[in-house]
Amino acid sequence: MIELLRVPSLLTVQDSGRSGYRKLGVPISGFMDDYSARIANYLVGNPGNAPLLEFLLTGPTLKFNASAVFAVAGDVDVKLNGAPVDPWTSYWAKRGDVLEVGVVKSGLYGYIAFAGGIKCEPLLGSCSTYAKAGLGKPLKAGDVLNLGYAILTGREGRRLPEELRPDYSAEEITVGVVLGLDLGHFTEEGVRTFLSEAYTITPESDRMGYRLDGRTIEHSEKGAGIVTGPLVPGTVQVPPNGKPIVMMRDAQTTGGYARIGVVTSAHLHRLAQMRPGFKVRFGEMSVEDARNELFKKEKTLEAIRLFLEGRLRAYRIKTEKMETIAFAGE
Amino acid sequence: MGETMNFKPLGDSALLISFREVIDEETNDRVHALAGAIEKAGFEWLVEVVPAYSSLAVIYDAKLIDFEGVRQAIERIEFSAEKFEGRLVEIPVLYGGEHGPDLEFVAEYNGLTPEEVIEIHSRPIYRVYFLGFLPGFAYLGGMDERIATPRLEKPRLKVPAGSVGIAGKQTGIYPLESPGGWRIIGRTPLRLFNPTRDPPTLLRPGDRVKFVPIDEEEFLSLSNRKI
Repeated sequence: MIELLRVPSLLTVQDSGRSGYRKLGVPISGFMDDYSARIANYLVGNPGNAPLLEFLLTGPTLKFNASAVFAVAGDVDVKLNGAPVDPWTSYWAKRGDVLEVGVVKSGLYGYIAFAGGIKCEPLLGSCSTYAKAGLGKPLKAGDVLNLGYAILTGREGRRLPEELRPDYSAEEITVGVVLGLDLGHFTEEGVRTFLSEAYTITPESDRMGYRLDGRTIEHSEKGAGIVTGPLVPGTVQVPPNGKPIVMMRDAQTTGGYARIGVVTSAHLHRLAQMRPGFKVRFGEMSVEDARNELFKKEKTLEAIRLFLEGRLRAYRIKTEKMETIAFAGE
Repeated sequence: MGETMNFKPLGDSALLISFREVIDEETNDRVHALAGAIEKAGFEWLVEVVPAYSSLAVIYDAKLIDFEGVRQAIERIEFSAEKFEGRLVEIPVLYGGEHGPDLEFVAEYNGLTPEEVIEIHSRPIYRVYFLGFLPGFAYLGGMDERIATPRLEKPRLKVPAGSVGIAGKQTGIYPLESPGGWRIIGRTPLRLFNPTRDPPTLLRPGDRVKFVPIDEEEFLSLSNRKI
């Protein structure tokens, strides 16, 4: 059992999301950055989709009321009983220990995973928080969370090498986008603008959607309105003002603005970690290439899982141009 | 019927099937008939189907199949829109008063009496074209244009769950308390969305809806029932 002592910003329980209810208007929700969240779970020996804590910018302070193994994923200072410990590493906490998670130095969202996962009564098949509809609530100081049962031995001391930690410090990135939805609602110039300009993340961005600012995307004579149709996370809608909005995990399931394209699903977590003021560019990608990106991401995550479980070795490869990690052997 | 289905990628893990880009019952029947047929086909790669007015998204596990594979599987599906018929759901509504603060305005705007507005609003059988925007929010079709009324110029910060409103030529029910600019003419004591129930929504895509005027007493007794 853990008790939250301080909750300075948005803190929610999330898992890999809710499926099967979108036709009833229920968003999927779940990890904003599934890459970090899944690694956090692997660090403590959980399946990747186990419920954990997601915090925005500043982590909580919490007390363990029983032994537990935890790991923090994020570029953030972590203290256990006042002494610094490392993120991306799993530790054993004893009854009475206090974990203090600071402010992320890069990126936007951080994760705290516990061996056994956070115990919750799934609502509509998931523990992901979507407070607007009464599907869980943001956590506050004083809240108590129970953890699922887990044999703790052997789960602590797992560490993700620095080379494998995601780097969210870049102030400008390019994400892939699959075009082709409501292209008739844009002029050729409009599509060119979208694919060549950098767009700035505005502060009016949250788990529902990231509103971007930048060069206006020109609609054709058909205009910005469409007969309301389905949306998925990653969909880029362009309302009448010509400024794109990227749908995120809590996005509504349908929308009435022209959809210029959809961000490659393997890249969406990267966009999720971009701070207001940072810039994103959109690079056209075929649906096949976007799928290959997904395979690449899954392969990396699977290798990381096996490595953390001690079933795969990692080798540091250094060439003149780059330094990378390769995995080998089971 | 394949010739009028248009397939487009909705990213790398979903496919959008569009019929003619119109809002009509015939097209929407086809959307729901196809959505149902896809759900029944038992595809292992299927995550879920999201229907809308004249299009539907098929969300798939891209680790198991690609866009072309999904398209071919769907093109082989046989479905008939003729047999499609949703359930008929009666929704009791207390019109006017504190629960319907804009009823008088809607009447005045359209040169009608409040009683006439209630009569016109509760007469048709509406169609749930689909759900979206908010969990449990039904896009209803079939409102009589004699009671069409523009939205509030300044949206309310809080509209209670169950509020029945009019926005332009549309009518709808707020499933959750939320801000909103619809003209509120009444309220239903039924819960449109209940996260602890499965399915969580009172209405489902393709249902038909009939509003039934009720009085204060019935409203209270229905409100007190655990529903």
